[in-house]
Parts: sequence; structure tokens; C-alpha cells
Amino acid sequence: MRSSLQRRAPTLLRTISRRSQYEAAIISNAPRPAAAATRPAAVAPQKRWHSSVNADEISHFNALASTWWDPHGSSRALHLMNPLRHDFINTCRSTSLSSSTTVTPEPNSQPTAGQQQQHQAPKLRYLDVGCGGGIFAESAARLPSTHSVTAIDAAPVIIQVARQHASKDPLLAEPTKLRYINTTIENLASTLQSSPEGSKFDVVTLFEVIEHVDQPANFLSHLSNHVKPGGWLVLSTIARTWTSWFTTNFMAEDVLGIVPKGTHDWNKYINDDELRGYFSKFADEQGWDLSSLMVQGVVYVPGLGWKEVQGSEKVGNYFLGVQKKA
Amino acid sequence: MAAWHSPLGPSPHAACSSKSNILPISAVMDLLIRKRAAGYVCRSCTRQVQREIRLRRSYSSSARPDIYDVVCVGGGPAGLSLLTALRANPVTSHLRIALVEAQDLSKIKSWKLPPDRFSNRCSSLTPASVRYLDQIGAWHHLDQTRVQDYHEMQVWDGVTDARIEFDTLSSSPTSGPDTTIAYMTENLNLTSGLLKRLEELGGVSTYDNAKVEQITLGAEHPESNLDLREWPVIHLSGGKQLHARLLVGADGANSPVRSFAGIQARGWDYNRHGVVATLALEEQDFPTHQSFSPSGKIAYQRFLPTGPVALLPLPGNFATLVWSTTPENAALLKSLPPKEFIAMVNAAFRLSPVDLSYLHSPASSGTPKEEEYSWRMEHTHINPLSVPQTIIGVQENSIASFPLKFRHADTYIAERVALVGDAAHTIHPLAGQGLNQGQGDIQSLARTISYAVEHGMDIGTTMALESYLSERYAANHVVMGVCDKLHKLYSFESGPLVGLRSLGLRAVNGWEGVKSFLMRQASGGGSML
Ligand SMILES: C[S@@+](CC[C@H](N)C(=O)[O-])C[C@H]1O[C@@H](n2cnc3c(N)ncnc32)[C@H](O)[C@@H]1O
Repeated sequence: MRSSLQRRAPTLLRTISRRSQYEAAIISNAPRPAAAATRPAAVAPQKRWHSSVNADEISHFNALASTWWDPHGSSRALHLMNPLRHDFINTCRSTSLSSSTTVTPEPNSQPTAGQQQQHQAPKLRYLDVGCGGGIFAESAARLPSTHSVTAIDAAPVIIQVARQHASKDPLLAEPTKLRYINTTIENLASTLQSSPEGSKFDVVTLFEVIEHVDQPANFLSHLSNHVKPGGWLVLSTIARTWTSWFTTNFMAEDVLGIVPKGTHDWNKYINDDELRGYFSKFADEQGWDLSSLMVQGVVYVPGLGWKEVQGSEKVGNYFLGVQKKA
Repeated sequence: MAAWHSPLGPSPHAACSSKSNILPISAVMDLLIRKRAAGYVCRSCTRQVQREIRLRRSYSSSARPDIYDVVCVGGGPAGLSLLTALRANPVTSHLRIALVEAQDLSKIKSWKLPPDRFSNRCSSLTPASVRYLDQIGAWHHLDQTRVQDYHEMQVWDGVTDARIEFDTLSSSPTSGPDTTIAYMTENLNLTSGLLKRLEELGGVSTYDNAKVEQITLGAEHPESNLDLREWPVIHLSGGKQLHARLLVGADGANSPVRSFAGIQARGWDYNRHGVVATLALEEQDFPTHQSFSPSGKIAYQRFLPTGPVALLPLPGNFATLVWSTTPENAALLKSLPPKEFIAMVNAAFRLSPVDLSYLHSPASSGTPKEEEYSWRMEHTHINPLSVPQTIIGVQENSIASFPLKFRHADTYIAERVALVGDAAHTIHPLAGQGLNQGQGDIQSLARTISYAVEHGMDIGTTMALESYLSERYAANHVVMGVCDKLHKLYSFESGPLVGLRSLGLRAVNGWEGVKSFLMRQASGGGSML
């Protein structure tokens, strides 16, 4: 229903006219009128109006679960992008490490810079929100520099797939390394209350999720409770532009077929300046260090995969990282 | 017992044969591996077994499985270089690694020969391969007195006499001060050096003298919430079982790992055999005319209608022979007494194809070859500077032959499987590229694994291995295609192709661009080839 060009064009036009209203919605924590209005209320969960969870989205992702780990299946684009997420997180963390601590190299050994950090820095606790089948969560759990990964998703079938897949790797079988929880961001705090891991994390990640949630501002403020002082929130999403509509909805879903049809609702895309706006508005209340905020655009090149491209955050997929004040 | 057969003088030293070497030419691995391969279960049979296992839903009752990140089957140059690279890199040095090899590796590690004796399995290592071996700390573990660099190649057409002269100074403007075309050494010197470096690095569980009895898939281990049904399990003689996150097939042209993965290798046989031997040359009493060749050493290759014959320099006045010819010629050469064999090799670089085919024919069997050779040489005009020095001796037990093949696997990767070296591709040994291609493979695979580890990927998945496949497949295909076409071009004695190819070689000689491309192939200077 959201797949054909003919059906899409009117929506697009409608959305343009609604844009200012939509921007206001993001900043003001109010429910999103545009997204809610264009969706059928088919599988309405209870208390939908209080929750960031969009039932449509969840059933869409549940349906993709079985092919999540097929390297040529529905999530190939995410698999290909995954290494860049680690590169971006490293970039974010290395800027804050170099400014706050001076690393003195040991005289006799000459390990690489990454190795030195791994040896000296305490191991990291990750929270991966909207983890899907666990592409990022698994990879983070495998890193020698990781203490543990907590990964949550609102789709129950997907969490099942994620758990099942993790059991194929003995490295992830250690119960403390990687755990999956089927919960919403709203309920996470109470779920983690008695957890020995605590409910605050060094790195909170949100990859290709925010464009799928209702009330993104609400969602982000819940998230911010789980970022440690000095910790990072790192997310990736797609800018809402003509180009991104063309590349993700038309090219990626319809022409290239690298993303399953119906995955994207262009109405819900968020531009980097809208997110910047959010973080500056709540900088004091939530403790964000605005000087740390970083944005990196990435472009999918058929045949080559994802490439970092300066300035492309304005037209398509991008990463954003922001640190909490220590 | 005499080690050297020489018509001109006494044999210098005692014998010590080396039969267990891995030949420089990939196809030979077939012979060695065929025996080992008998015990394997192919992938489809494994699948069958697997299906039965699934039906019965039998869970593993055994103790905790022995799990490795990398299990490499095959301790030849490619396998050992890969493991050395992984151990030498701080990013991958924490991986749990096992090596499985049928031969006794401690014998290979302590391999030693007197200075005037050489194994007949030699390779021409390109500067790129040597640079990498140096980078992973292995190169200085080779016995440097048994390495011979050369800076010039003489290649000519036996029918038309058209020549390509390769020298790095004139043909490769970008080569810089180092003019080395390649380094000749015995494969055993390389494997022995790699084993010493691996010992220094430590951390590899080595199963040598071990036969791989079968490769199956793992089982479910509900007690530890583990599902290893997609993991290869390598069963060794003696009952040991190794689970592999990534199973590397460095196990030669008849790769059992490749059959386990259900990957086809396609190609054809050339109906040619490669004859190898270690030879002694007459001392050089005239200076080489090539002032740019610091070692004064030259590699010679002549294209005969039956296939190319090459003489590659070793230290001292020694050289190694690689002669591709018909199975009949090969059988004849192996059956000849040393004096006659030497005469035949000298003839191969000097006499006309007509004379040569007479020497190889049954009609000539009445007269000893060396008499035929001397008589015919009186009627042949040769510029001594354009052919190798006269061969005066052949090392005892060094003559061997093997069939030549062209094989290319359909892919190099499958879930939890990667193929390198001869397991992935086997070529006509024309340009001596077999071992260097394997080195290119393992450089790419080691880089791929390192990237995957740094980014938290499961190194056994095809998702992680994809870049290895894309980096190497096309590159190998180009090299293999060029070698194969050269072979075909030079396999005709008359007809339009002969005229064409003399034109071809002359054109190549004058055409710097093409020549430097061929040079880059030979010296591995082309980035990934
Ligand atoms: C495009 S997938 C991305 C998955 C994963 N982050 C990755 O990149 O590999 C979006 C995921 O977000 C989940 N999701 C959508 N809305 C959510 C919400 N409100 N709370 C938690 N998860 C949500 C979906 O179930 C789906 O698994």
C-alpha cells in the first residue's frame, strides 16, 4: 500500500504543506499529527497515544524477522552499514578521549592507538534500542573493548530471532555479554530497576529506528535517562528531503530492492537540523554537551556499499552523536 | 652415493633427496593430496548425514566442543603465511587458531641441505610477496644464502626466435631503485622460515601428522544454549574434533575443504606435464652483457610448440628447470640416463623445434642423445649471450614431473569456509604465478579478517568474507586468463598464429606499455594481482 510511486506522490505533496506543523511537533514533545493521520489504525495497541510504539511498524518488522540474518535478505543494507557505525562511535569517543585524558604510551610496546585505548579504558556498557535481529548488538558484544550489551526491541518475534541467532556464536553465549529484552523505551527503566548492570550506559545506540517511532521527541527524552554522564547517544536515520524520498523509497525499495517495500514512511523522516534543535532545546534539562554533537552523512553506492560523504547528511542517511556532560 | 650426475666431472657431494616438498607449480599438490583426500565426506553426503541428524534431533552429548576461530587445513606456503599474518597482527592475535597438516612439520622446520644441493620444488617470489613476508616478520627466517634474486628475464619464441627482453630498468619507469624481478627460492626454505616465525609468535594449536578423516557439521548443545549446527567440525585421526568459526582450505588443488563446502572447481587439463630438476651450470667465464643486473643472474624461458621450457637461477652455479611438455616427452626425459637428460635440456634452449622433435621421437632412440646433440649443435648457430650457460650436471633424484591443469573454483567463500591458494585456483605455471597468487589471497583474507574483527563481525560469515572474494576473484581470473592464452598462443608450430606471435613478441618488445604490464604481473607490482 505504501509501495507504488503513483500512490506516494500525493502523500508527498500533502506532507510538504504540513512540514512546519511537523517540525513544531518534534520540538514540542507533542504527538505527531502527520504520521498518525496517514496510518490506518488497524492493530491499535492499548494506550497508543502515550507510547512511541507504532503498531504498524512493529508488525512490519515482525514480518521481516525470518530473513533478518540472510546476507542477501531484507536487511542487507543494515548489514553493510554496520561497520560504519563502529567507525562513527570510535570517532565520537576518540574526540572526547583526546580532549579529556592524555594517554601516555608505554615505552616498550607499540600497540596501535585503538589497542592502547582498549587496554587503558574501562570496558563499555552498550544499550542498543530498536535492536532488530541484533546486527549491531552482536557486533558490539564481540568487541574486546565491550563489557556488555543490552539490546531491546518492541517487536516480540524479532527478539526471538535475535536470541536464536546469538546462540549460534559461542562468543555471545556468555550470559553477561549480550542480553535481549522485549520491551519499550517507556518501560525500560522499570525493567532494569533490579538489574546488576544498572540502567545507565556508556553508549546508547539508536540505529534506523527514530524514523519508525511515534512522538520521537518523547522517545528521545526517555532514552536520555539511560545515558551515563560522559556517555554518548549515537543514532542514525534518514533526512526528509526530495533526494532521500527518491533514494530510500523509490530507489532502495522499488528499484534496487535492497530495502523491503513498506519499510519507510517518508513522513516520519527527521532532518539533522531538527535533531540539533531538539538537543539544544533540552541541553540543560537533559545534560547534553552541545559542543560534542557530531553529524556524518553516509551514502549507499550500489556495488561499493556505504561510504562516508561530507555534507550528505543533508540529503540522505546520516549518523549523529552527542555526549552527556560528565 | 653420488648426488650429481655430470658428464664433465666428479659429483661434488653426498645425496639427500627431498621428495616431500610442495611443488612451486600448483597442480602438483594434486598428487600429494589425492592420497589424503580419500577419507573425506563430501558436502552433499554431509548434508545427508546432517538431515538424518536433524530428523533424529539428536543433541550432542559430548563434553564442551573444542572451538576455534580459525582452523586452517594445509600447512603449505599459503596456509602458513595466513596464520603468521593473523598472529603477527595485534588486532587478530587473540583469535584461537588451529593448524592441521598431514606431514611432519617439525621435519620441515628443521629442514637443511648442503649449499650445493637444492630441492627441486622452487618458486619465484615477487617483490610484493617478499615485502609482505617481511612485514609479517617471516622473511629473515628464511636461509638467505638459499635465495637468489634476478633482475633480468630472457623470453623468446622457439619457432621464430622473436624475443622479449624483460629488465626492470627499461620497462618499469615506476619501479624505483629496486630492479629485482623476483626472488628464487626453494619452497621448503619458505615453509621452514614461516614455521620458525610461527614458533616465535606462538599461539597456534598445531595438529601435524594428522589425517582429516571427515568434515561434518556441528550439533545443538542445549545445556549451554549453543547451536553449532552450521559450524564445520574437523574430525582428525585419533578422534580429535575441532569446531571452526572459519575453516580455511589451504589444502591444495584437490581441496577436501572445497568439496565439503560443495564448491565446484572448473577447468581443463592441458595434456602437458611439468618436468622439474635441479641443474648445475658451467661457470660463467664471460661477463654478462647486462650491466644493470647486480647479481648477474638471468631467468630464461623459451616457448616451444610443446610448451615453455624455463631455467631459473639459484645461488652459485645452480638453476632449477621447469619444462612443460607432452606426457610422452616427459616420460622419455625421466627415463634418460643423466648425460642424455642434460643433452636434452641444453638442446631445448638451443636447437630448432624440428631438431628437438626428432630428438624426442622414437626414431632417434638408436643414437645416444648427447651425440645427436653435439652433432646438431655443429650445424646450429647460437649467440652464447642469448641462451643460458651450458648445463653440466643434474642433481640425483631431482627429476620429477606432474600433470598441468587449469582450475578455478566457482567461489572462494561459503558460510564458515574460505579457500586460498591452490584450493581456489590452479594455473599453468607459465609465469610462475601460482605461489604469488596464493600470497595475494592470504594478504587479502588476513586484511578481511582483521577488518571483521575490528568491527565485531563474525569472521566465518559470508557477510564478513565478501570483500575477500571480491578483491581476489577477478584479480586471479585475469592472471589465469593471461597465462592460459599465452600457453595456447605458443602451442602451434605452423599456421597463421606463428606469424602473428612473432609479430606479437616483436611488438611487445617495442611496446613499452604492454611490456611493463607483463612485467608488473611477473613482479607482482600491480597492486592486488
Ligand atoms: C530498521 S530496524 C533497525 C534494526 C537495528 N537497529 C539495525 O539497524 O540493525 C527498526 C527496528 O526498530 C524497532 N522499533 C520500531 N519502533 C520501536 C519502538 N518504538 N521501540 C522499540 N523498537 C522499535 C523495530 O521493531 C525494528 O526492529
